[in-house]
Order: sequence, then C-alpha cells, then structure tokens
Amino acid sequence: MSRKSVSVSIKEIDSDLARFRDLNITIGAITRERWDEPMGPSPFPSLTTLRPWDRLLLSRYKPFYMPFCDLCCLCTYGKCDLTGTKKGACGISMPAQQSRVVLLSACIGAATHTSHAREILTHTIDTFGRDCPVNPGGTAVEVEAPITRLVCGIKPETLGDLEPVLDYCENQLTQLLAVTHTGQEGNSLDFESKVFHTGMIDHLGMEVADLAQVSALGFPKAEPEAPLADLGLGTIDAKKPVILVIGHNVPPAAAIIDYLREHDNAGDVEVTGICCTSLDLTRYAPKAKIVGPISWQLRYIRSGVPDVIVVDEQCIRTDTLTEAEKIHAPLIATSEKNCLGLPDMTHEPADAIVAAFVHGDVTGALILDPEKVGEVASRVALALHPKRKKHGSMPTKHKIAEMAKKCTLCMQCRRACPNDLPVAQAVKLAASENLSGLDELYDDCLGCGRCESACKQKLPIHSLIVSAAEKQTRDETYCLRTGRGAIQDIEIRKVGGPIVLGEIPGIVAFVGCANYPKGSREVADMVTEFAKRRYIVCTSGCAAMSAGMSRNEEGKTVYEQFSGAFEAGGVVNVGSCVSNAHISGAAIKIASIFAKRPLRGNYEEIADYVYNRVGAVGVAWGAMSQKAASIAAGFWRLGIPVVVGPHGTKYRRMLLGRADRGDDWMVYDARSGESVYGGPVPEHLFIAAETKEEAMVLIAKLAMRPNDTSKGRANKLANYIDLHKRYVGGIPGDVYRLVRTPADIPLTLKDEVDAHLAEHDWKESSIPDPTLLSRMVHAKKVA
Amino acid sequence: MFENIPVEVGLVHEGERVRKNDMQVELGGPQEPEKFEIVRVRPADAVEDGKILINGPDIADMAEGKHYPLGIVVEISGARLEPDLEGVVERRIHEYCNYIEGFMHLNQRYDIWIRVSKKAFKKGLTSLRFIGEVMIDLFRKELPLIEKIQVTFIMDPAAIKPLFEEAMKTYEARDARARGLSDDDVDVFYGCALCQSFAPTHVCVITPQRYANCGAISWFDGRAAAGVDPKGPIYAIGKGTCIDPEKGEYSGVNESAKQRSMGEVSRVYLYSAFGYPHTSCGCFEGIAFYIPEVDGFGIVLRGFRDVTVNGLPFSTMADSTAGGRQVDGFHGISLEYMRSQKFMAADGGYDRVVWMPQETKERLQSFIPESVYGAIATEQDAKTLDELKVFLQSHNHPVTKRWEQDNPAGAGDMPVERQEVSVLSGRDIPFTAGGFRIILKNAKITAEKVIIQPIRPGGERHGTQKP
Repeated sequence: MSRKSVSVSIKEIDSDLARFRDLNITIGAITRERWDEPMGPSPFPSLTTLRPWDRLLLSRYKPFYMPFCDLCCLCTYGKCDLTGTKKGACGISMPAQQSRVVLLSACIGAATHTSHAREILTHTIDTFGRDCPVNPGGTAVEVEAPITRLVCGIKPETLGDLEPVLDYCENQLTQLLAVTHTGQEGNSLDFESKVFHTGMIDHLGMEVADLAQVSALGFPKAEPEAPLADLGLGTIDAKKPVILVIGHNVPPAAAIIDYLREHDNAGDVEVTGICCTSLDLTRYAPKAKIVGPISWQLRYIRSGVPDVIVVDEQCIRTDTLTEAEKIHAPLIATSEKNCLGLPDMTHEPADAIVAAFVHGDVTGALILDPEKVGEVASRVALALHPKRKKHGSMPTKHKIAEMAKKCTLCMQCRRACPNDLPVAQAVKLAASENLSGLDELYDDCLGCGRCESACKQKLPIHSLIVSAAEKQTRDETYCLRTGRGAIQDIEIRKVGGPIVLGEIPGIVAFVGCANYPKGSREVADMVTEFAKRRYIVCTSGCAAMSAGMSRNEEGKTVYEQFSGAFEAGGVVNVGSCVSNAHISGAAIKIASIFAKRPLRGNYEEIADYVYNRVGAVGVAWGAMSQKAASIAAGFWRLGIPVVVGPHGTKYRRMLLGRADRGDDWMVYDARSGESVYGGPVPEHLFIAAETKEEAMVLIAKLAMRPNDTSKGRANKLANYIDLHKRYVGGIPGDVYRLVRTPADIPLTLKDEVDAHLAEHDWKESSIPDPTLLSRMVHAKKVA
Repeated sequence: MFENIPVEVGLVHEGERVRKNDMQVELGGPQEPEKFEIVRVRPADAVEDGKILINGPDIADMAEGKHYPLGIVVEISGARLEPDLEGVVERRIHEYCNYIEGFMHLNQRYDIWIRVSKKAFKKGLTSLRFIGEVMIDLFRKELPLIEKIQVTFIMDPAAIKPLFEEAMKTYEARDARARGLSDDDVDVFYGCALCQSFAPTHVCVITPQRYANCGAISWFDGRAAAGVDPKGPIYAIGKGTCIDPEKGEYSGVNESAKQRSMGEVSRVYLYSAFGYPHTSCGCFEGIAFYIPEVDGFGIVLRGFRDVTVNGLPFSTMADSTAGGRQVDGFHGISLEYMRSQKFMAADGGYDRVVWMPQETKERLQSFIPESVYGAIATEQDAKTLDELKVFLQSHNHPVTKRWEQDNPAGAGDMPVERQEVSVLSGRDIPFTAGGFRIILKNAKITAEKVIIQPIRPGGERHGTQKP
C-alpha cells in the first residue's frame, strides 16, 4: 500500500502529549510496510553507487573494441576520425566513443521498455485502479518482484506501488542520456559502468511492465502449462476477415479481442500478430495467432491476407503505411511514439472513422484510445473483408520469370543483403522459370527488403522470394507455449537438488530479435539440443517464436516435445520482451531461496552471488535492437554472460575474459578469506559466435561457475566436451583449466580427460566458496 | 574409451526414449513377470574380474518387436565393500545403461524395463556383452572400492526363476535392515555439504533415521559416497558422545556443524524443530511449521498450492525456513524423514502434528500411528485456525491435553490477539520527554515519507512458541 501526498489540518487538539493549534501536517508519501527485511546498502542506486562492482567485472572482462564506425559525427566539430591514436575535437578516444555509442544504444533500449512500462501501468491503473494487487503467480510466488526488491528496496503490493519504481527509472535514464553529451564522460570504463547501470534500469522497467500486465490483464500467472497458441502463416484462415497487430504494447490488440467477444464475433475474425504484441495477445487470448517474428512483416502484409493493420510501438517497419496502401488495407497507429504522419482521429466518433476507412477516404489514422481502436479495427475488418478480396501485392509465378529477366546481375542486391545471400543468382535463375534458387533463400531471408531498395531494375525482390516459396509459407503451421510469466519459487526449490547433484548442467535463455545469420531454425536446433541435454531452457520474444518454428521427425515443435516447467529439459517461454525480467528475476530469487540472502536494496551482494553461483547463460542469436543491447547489459551487471550471433559484433565491443591470465581469476574463498584461483569461469561476459555450432560449445562452457560441485562440473564438462567433439572436433584445448579435482572429470570421458590433463601438467586445486567482495568473507566464528 | 562399443556412450544419451515403433526388442517391462537387477558383494575368490556371462538368447537371437525376461546380476568384491552398500551400487546400473545410445533403462530392482532401439541394433548393438563391458568399465572408474567385478545376464526363463526369487528375498532383507537400522546402531553419521554451493552455511546431517532434506541421500548413500571420496562433499561424522538422546544432540555433530557452517551453527538437535533445529538450504521436500494457537505442527509438502491452515502457503513459509538458518518452529524436512520413528521425536512426533494436506496424509498413512491418524486434520477438515481448534477438540487430538496443562482456563479457546499497529509510537516522536508540556502553534509538519512498519511482522509467530 502506498499513497502519495496526504495533508491533514487540525484546528485545535489537546492531548496528554501536547497541545496543538492550527496544525498542518503534509506528508509526501505514506508507505505501509509488511516487510521486515532490513534495508540493504543501495536502494535506488545512483549512477555511481554500483561503480565499484562494475569495475570488478570490467577488470576481468575488459572491453574488446570493434569499431563499427571509425567516426564520431554527434556534434558540429565532426566528423572526427578516431582511428589509431587520434582523438576527436572534444578529446574523445576511440574506446570511449565506442562505449559512448553503446551507452546511447542502451539508453534508447531502456527508455523504450520504461516508456512501454509507463503506458501499460497508466493503462492498467486507469482501468483496474491503483489498488489492483500485484500478483504474478498467486501462492506459488513469494518474491513477487525480485528486481524491484533488489534495486529499489520496495516490495510492491499494488499497481500503485509500481509508480515510484518507474519514477526512478525515468530519473536515471535522463541522467544516463545526459552522460553521452559532448564533453561529459571521457573514460571508456566509466561509460561501460553506465551501460551496466542502464541495463539494470532496463530490467526494472521490464519487470514493472510485465508485472502490471500479468496482474491486471489475466495473463497466465507463472503457469508451467500455459496453453499452446498457433504460430505461422499456414495457421491463418484467410477466408475470414483478418486483423494484423504489430509491435509490443498489447492494450489496443486486447481491446480488439474484447470488442469481438462482446459482439459475438470472436470466431468470425482472425486476430493475428507479429512480434511481441502477438506474444502478449496470446497470453490474453490463446486463440489469437502469431504470424512470426519481426522478419515476417513484409511477407505477411504483401500476401494481402490482413484486412486491417494495427501498429503500436517498437520494431515496426517504418514504411508500413506504404506497404499497407499497396494491399488496400487500412492502417491504424495507436501510439504517441509512432504516429506515421497519420491524421489524429482519436476524438472522432467511431462511426465516422469506420465510414472513412470503408469509403477509402483515409488510408490510415492515428487513434490514441485502445478501446476505440478495438471497435474501429474490428468493424473495419468485418466491413472491408468482402470488398478487399485479399488484394495482395505478390507476383504470380509467371510474372516472377518475366520480371527476373530484367536482372542484369549487377550484384547490388547481394551487396545490400545483411546475410550476403546469393540473391542475384537466384533471380537470374528465376528468369528461366526455375524458382528453386529464390525458394531456397526464403528460410535465411531476414525480410529487411534492402535488396529491393538496391535493385537498379526496381524489382520487388523480396516479393519474388516469398512468392517462390509459397509452399513453404503454407506449411508454416507451428505452435508456441504462450508466455507463462514468472518462475515459481517452488520450481526453483525443486531444481536446487538436481543442480548440485549434477543432473542439470545449467540454464540457457534464448531471447531477443530475429536478425539471424541463417534463419529461425537455428534457434529451434539449439533449443532442442540443450533441452535434450537436460538444461533448463528459457525463451522469450522473437526467439520464442523461432524456437517453435520447426518440427522434429514426429512432427512436434519444441513446445510439444518438452515440458513448460522450469526443470531439467523444460522449455520455458516466459513471454514477450518485457518478460525477460522473469529470467533475471529467477536468477535473483535463487539467492533468496537457497541462501536467504536479503534482496532488499542489496544489488552488489546478490550480483556477486549470481555471478559466482548461478550457471545461467543468455543467448540473443538474432539480437538487432537497442532494446536487445540494454537487456544484455542488465544480464551483465548481474554477472550473467550473453552470447550473440554474428550480427551482434555490430554492438561495437565484446567483454572478453583472458583464461590465459591466472591473476585475472582470483576470488576470495568466503570460508577462509584467502584469495584463491577460481578458474576462468564464466570465461566471457559478452561474446559473438559466428555459427550456431560455435555458439553451442560456448554456451556449455559459459554455464560453468566457480561454486560448481564436482558432480555439477563433471556434467557441465561432459556437455562441453561432447558438443566440442561433435561440432568442432576433438577434445577442447582448455579442459585442464576447467578441471579442479579428479571428481570433476566426467565418468564417460575419464580416459581421454586423464590423458589431456597429463599433457598439460595439470594440478589439483580446491573448490572455493567464491566471492569477489572481501566483505562477504565470513567472520571467524569458529573457535 | 568405449572404442569397442558399436554405439556412443555418454551423458548426452541419458534422457533418450525408445518408442515402441523404434524398438528392436524389449527386456523386462510390464509384460514380463520375472525381471530384476541386483548387485551382490561376494568374497574375492568368488568373483572372476571382468567376466561377462550370457545365459540364454542374446539380443541378436531375439525376434524383432518381442519382449523377453531379463536378470542382471552384478557381483563385486573389495576389501572395503560391505553388503550395506549393495543398494547404492545397484542404482548405478540405471544411470550407466542410459549413457548407452539406443539402450533405454527404466525403473530398478524387480521393475526394470529395457528397450534396445532398431537404430542401435543396426549399428551393431547385438549383444548384452557390450552393456556388460560398459558397466564394468564405469563401475571401476567411479567406484574404486570395487576391486573385482563380474556381470551375468540371464534371459533363459528356466534359469531366471530361482535367481528372481533369491533377488526378491535379498531386496526384502535389505529393506528390513534399512528400516530397522537406528541411529543408536551406528557410530558414524554422514554430512552433506553439496548444497553449500548455493547455501554456504547449511549442512545436512544424514543418519539412518534422518534422510537428507532433499530426500535424495540416505545414510547408505552417504556411507558409499564418503567411502569412495573421503575428501568429497559427503563426509563421515563421528557421532561423539550423545549429549541429549531425546533431542538427538551429539558432540560430534555439533563440532562438525560448527566447522562446516563457519560458526553459524554450533549445536544441532536432530529430532526437534525447536532450540537448535537442523537447518535447510532451499530444496527441502516439505515444512513442519509450528502453530502456536494450538501448540502443534502443520506439515506441508512443496507441491501443495493452496494456503495452509495458518493462512500461509508453502512458498511464504519456505521463505522463513530456508537459507541455512536455525528458525524455531519452521523446519525443512524430507518425506523420508517423515517415515522415520525419530520424526520430530523430541517434540512429540506425530502426536504433535495437527494438520497436513489430505494427499500427504494418505501417502504417510502406514507411518502415522493409528492412535492419532484420525485426529490429524486436513484441508478438508479445517481451513482456518478456528476450524482446526474445533476439529482437534472434537477428535481428542493429543495436543489438546497440552492446552489444559499450559492454561487451565482453556488456551485453545482464546482468541489470538493481534498487536495493533500504531503510527505514532513513543520511539518515533521525539517530543515525549517526561515532565514537559509541548505546545505547537501554527505548526506545519512536513514529512517526505511516513513508513508504517509493524514492529516485527511474523516475528511474534516465532516468539510465542512453547519450548
């Protein structure tokens, strides 16, 4: 419970204690606490409160810069060439500039989640009231908001309690953004520390957003068996009126469902979605359909199937209006952050807007009222559906060949392709009516459309690819377990035993966008590999969709093959981007659940715990956005390593450890206070892999932690060595660094590991009770 | 390693399933009445090291898609091996078999169910000899206590019968020994520090009558593990002198706990939830929680999703139980400990248990004394403390006698008084100096924030228990 600004006036009061006349009492806020946990050292940390912790991490994982751009052009002195030892006009060096751009990027990401959270919170408070209880999982969840407790020292009980959390996020983000101004911060490590701070704020914002929508909108609450939802172009019934929603902010989409339900049209209209709005929509209404990740925008719109397109915010193609106009589908923009040049019709009567759309008076409108969007989109879809006749903009097979004949093989398309796909060759082949080349491109295509922009013949190359792959698109009939939200405390308790007994080798989270080097299926492959190996696998966002877009030989997706519980071999879809907070939240809860470490305002201690003990790895195989950057940063500050795909190198720097430097890996043994070797684990904090094979080997290695029991380490090593043998070849060269005692050696690999250890002059070392913080060393109580 | 085995052997195959359509043959399983696997410790001269005997048709001789009986007898010898360890060694068979690609092993003892996949068969897994080789190799590597080992596979229906019957007798004798073994019968307990990787101050003490909290490690497991790797996370604890037989306090246990918990825990009562109760990490199977209003214990297992009779769900109470602390009246326990005669013996055992979920009660029926079974309420009998009191009284639960002793006026009927929360306590307001009268005129008091905090929420709960 929390109330803001209370004023009391008392004219006159006599009491045993005192006599008061004309007393005015003004109280900024009243907080009633039912929480007896003492406040930790760092509630609402400022930009520098956790700097010492960041420095500890950054001294192990020094930024390795890979300038994506050699210049700085942020002020009018520029452009400044920063190559070599050159400095910019303001004095900035290349490393500082790279970190500065990372900070900018992280600020954009965190601001996006925080503003999204603000919209959701405002909307849910307006609708359900400030006193609507925060409830992520009923009796199964004791720690309702681990990140909020940890960072702010607040235990939110109602939606209203979440407001000060967002106030704090907004305050910090303003300061963080200010850091990037010309002539502010100049040290690269200080920039990096602020990147970490931004990431932490980002996770806080995400937690608020998902807590609010899970609590208020009736989403599954920490439900391992959340229902399955249809996924894929092939699942959509194009004979019905179809509405497409794109983006991240679910209230307008939810209002469409509400309107259809209230008017008994729920079964008559297909409500389909792309990106996180669709994930959250299936949490609201499991019968809604997910088209696919962000890369499906162009192909789905051009198919002509959607009768109405509704966009909210984030990761939406900015040319959606043009594409929508091509298929004569009205576009409704619903967010102040994304107005697309459309006329604001928020205050016009719904009848008038519907009429304007149906008569074709407008091609798009801005409607900043979710409820009105729900009505207009539904009515327009129903009215337009018979008229539009699914007017698409895809060429027929014959037309493809005809157009392809214009190709001059100038290769501009291939140069423009982010994945260097053999586009020109495929187009040329199509000229002879052989569409196999184009068909083969479909799977790896990111749907960015850059090939079209580059084409001197103005060929609609993306449409050619999608048309040629028509059968593939029809076969896209998959499913996904709808986002369950939080992880139950009891699930975490249950996996404690199997983790220390070496039955669960780690936790891997596949998150983020769809900028994949080789299509969605790689995510599905990796998820399957790790689930089969009894890792706990989490998914969220576009990666959660990609994971579902593949079937095994029995025709089952990963969501049908594996349980949705947080357990060995479970595939746990937490939900949309903002649900990522439940993954970091679960790591935090481990400290509370097993060690009873106080979370309240106690970030550094808990991050030290997570870093040294919780074998979690994040994988953003198709990381594209600034949000992905801030999400990753939030994991880094907690000491959770992140692996990205090859496009992730464009985040300008990696955070790499140096296994060869023994001194870098010293930890305190909390039992004795001695500084001891903790092993190069986890070896990196942020690293890009070029192929999924390389990534899988890295994931297995990065799941190791200095506290691993011997059984746990043996299991992790067995997976690491086995994956390396399968996908790279031979036993990895660094096993001797990762074996501490003979009991760490995997039983089934004992002979080869023994031989390897002998070659490397291996010596036994002890398993510490690891910490990087000298204050965590136990006071000697033993007599 | 395993160069001669035609299929892969490794951890990655552990979770593999062989479905009916992919199955070459089935060994044991629900359709075969006689199947078993057993480990026996033998004298050294009775074991021929490395020998693999196959008695009856081998995989290659079996008809595709059919099922056959199977007995697996693993005979081992070694100077430090003792029959008490047979069960522990035996459970490894399951693990090792599942490392083998295309060889699925389910269950244990007389329930084994094995399938060989067609794919593995085609790769050359045509003989149980390969399975024997893998087993022998892994047993030797993991358990150096084993000096000699031989494995026999029996598929011959005539030969299996007497061996099956003998195995059944051995299981029974083993179970009787485990049930009959009391803490007084042994000199050594075992400690487990595995969970210290997550809860650095927690240590489990494992005795014949007190399983590890996680439910995964028995005294026999502890004995085997400590024998194999004496420096490992599971280690022997000399009992030392018995300080209090009723509460289960031993000097050796205290000393060990003090060392291993770095001084956080210096005394342990093995059979009590009060005073110096055994600590918990986070993965205990259930909680025994004290209910001061009725002076008895409720029990809840972690799968129970509703709130318990005291209005709190498992997850909330677990929060008070975990983390290697000694919390009076909140006790992390394993299911197996609830089957022990020493279960909270110092506090009255089941005579002190007043509530548990129906499902748990049924599960433990044979371990709860008949005299009190009917008097223990479940969620179907009592959802609130008031209902519980009525139920206990009407069923004459043993705790009701304690009410009379403690409070002749009838404590059971007394409403539980809640402490009022006061906003302006003397401590918070500085102008309470005695002897002065403070007059404020035209005063404006502005507070940025007022925090209303109960003195110790939940704290009273712990404080009001009876020793």
